[in-house]
Amino acid sequence: MHFHIVKRDSCPFWKKLCLYLAAVAAALVLGGLLLLVMGVDPIAYYQRMFTMGMVGNKIAYKTFENYLKVFVPLVLTSVALSLAFKMRFWNIGGEGQFILGAVAAAAVALKLKDSLPQGVVLILMCLAGMAAAGVYGALAAVLKVKFGTNETLMTLMLNYVALYFLIFLGETQAEWNFFLDTSSARPVFFNFGKEVAFPRIMIGKFGLNVCVLLTLLIGVLVYCYLKYSKHGYEIAVVGDSAGTAHYAGMKVNAIVLRTVFLSACLIGLAAAFKVGTVGILSTSFTDDVGWTGVIVAWLAQLNTGIIFVVSALISMLQHGSTVAAATFAQVDSSFADMLQGAILFLVLAADFFIRFQVVRAQKGGSVNGNG
Amino acid sequence: MEMDKLGVVTTFIHNIVVYNIPLLYGTVGEIMVEKSGSLNLGVEGIMAVGAIFGYIVGCYANSLGIGILTAFLMGALCGLLFAALTVSLQANQNITGLTLTTFGLGVYFFVGNGVKAVSWPVMNDYENIKNGFADLTIPGLSQIPVLGRGLFDHNIMVYLGVVIALVMWWYLSRSAPGLRLRAVGENPGAADSVGVNVKRYKYIHICVGCGIMGIGGYYMGLNMSGSFNSSCWINGYGWIAVALVIFANWNPALAVLGTFVFGFFNTLRVSGSSLAAAFPEGLGWLAAVPTQLYQALPFLITAIVLVVSSIRQKGSGQPAALGLNYFREER
Repeated sequence: MHFHIVKRDSCPFWKKLCLYLAAVAAALVLGGLLLLVMGVDPIAYYQRMFTMGMVGNKIAYKTFENYLKVFVPLVLTSVALSLAFKMRFWNIGGEGQFILGAVAAAAVALKLKDSLPQGVVLILMCLAGMAAAGVYGALAAVLKVKFGTNETLMTLMLNYVALYFLIFLGETQAEWNFFLDTSSARPVFFNFGKEVAFPRIMIGKFGLNVCVLLTLLIGVLVYCYLKYSKHGYEIAVVGDSAGTAHYAGMKVNAIVLRTVFLSACLIGLAAAFKVGTVGILSTSFTDDVGWTGVIVAWLAQLNTGIIFVVSALISMLQHGSTVAAATFAQVDSSFADMLQGAILFLVLAADFFIRFQVVRAQKGGSVNGNG
Repeated sequence: MEMDKLGVVTTFIHNIVVYNIPLLYGTVGEIMVEKSGSLNLGVEGIMAVGAIFGYIVGCYANSLGIGILTAFLMGALCGLLFAALTVSLQANQNITGLTLTTFGLGVYFFVGNGVKAVSWPVMNDYENIKNGFADLTIPGLSQIPVLGRGLFDHNIMVYLGVVIALVMWWYLSRSAPGLRLRAVGENPGAADSVGVNVKRYKYIHICVGCGIMGIGGYYMGLNMSGSFNSSCWINGYGWIAVALVIFANWNPALAVLGTFVFGFFNTLRVSGSSLAAAFPEGLGWLAAVPTQLYQALPFLITAIVLVVSSIRQKGSGQPAALGLNYFREER
């Protein structure tokens, strides 16, 4: 017997959903088996992880605030990356763009916190973060459209250049280095959390950071931008085929540049939000959002709404595993990374059955003439 | 005094080799994978998986050979996963590779912390590992002043790495299967039409390439004397290896030279101050250079190489179909 693989034109929604859910379930079962082998009750562990220990906890609001601190940068970065990915521009430079955005925002905060009102400083921080990250991202896009430089490898290299720049700022004690706390003998970043912070709306004891609301708003805006605006249409056409776009009279290079710049700007904004929330830089400031964001955007198939759902789940996985590690000492919090990897591997596998169809070849003739 | 200065230079050269040959394994493995047309961004994770299993199994078996074999097999297993997803199931290579890195680092810490909770094997307690990893002096060549002890007095993993790189150079550029492999990476459709089994070529070379990366990871673990803590043994070397592939223009023999160039900066970071102290007039300024610059330089140089080679176009060793999946029915 012989099998053929044929591309599918479309796949009904319920079938897609079932396949993806089955993939996630399979990953959880695999993880559960591993837990069983280690002598941990998987149901108790997963319960702890997915509720993040909030059930029956008096300071659950605190946990939820911390959860949102993980969620906001991740979702915003993923949404941003999806813009570039839609054009098949592989911006995996989220880490570097996030870092430069954070450094710029922190610089504004440190320089202006004493001379301007807090609201103005916060707005300037956002603008500075967006500008720095945007230019850094656009650099790779310019090289791509001008010389055809491979953007995957280029943005990858720029990530590390930015990372070591951040470490340099964090470890170099010098007259000019205003990023560091001069009152400390060891090099530590200056904490301006008391002077500059995004306002929080208090709902009982729970403080809702305005960044969460802004992030939701940006999500809606990006969704509309992609779906209803002329720019969004152009992005879709370029992603489908640059040749078609060119033939239709679109300025492909300008579209790529514009979109990548916007994508990186949003990552810079995510960084500024984080700077204005935690009030201090660190050498591991990104928490890998640049990498995880790529995975989230892909898992969500670049669909803005689904990115919010997937980000919420992945943040739950990451934050929940740290919480669960406190109760289940024998399960390392790196379990979350493995689980996240397993989920994505299985979703990628499931994706195959959505995009393709396996058909049996008939004897004597082929099913589709070109086989 | 004069002798002492020479000693500093010798140690410097020696360190370049010891601390940077793991890069060569990662790079040569990745060159093999990329020559088949697959861009695998999972090097960091694959090296980590190879490292942790190679180290633990190697210690328990008290055999360096079994450690190397385990590291190779675990790396190859990661490669099999990558190949199954990208070659058979047509998944996006960038995403699969990045996930492999996350997954691999997760496995590394999960297994490492798990074993550490019970009892962590200490390399020097195992005679055969300790002796197997000791320096082997090559008679004759090691007598050359300064360079001799710098280049020809190393552990077996160093020699193995260079041998693998040279064999790989021969295989890719001079052998018949190597020629077919390059055809697969350049134009899989054309290779397929002349009867090359594209799938099989991709599978085999991805697995072997990833296995070689695994050995590099194991070497890094041994270099750290197997002390396991919160920072991974691989510590970014996987990414430098990805950069080095570009720097070496996809040529394993050039990768040996590239390792020295990247290793030079890497070693300056660690022992630049001792060079500055030995030669205060000429190299005193080295002490003032921030160490992070040395760490960033490999990436910065690679970025420049990328741009320059994309402007020149001609002579680039980058496979034309790099990063693109091959779907036969779409030919």
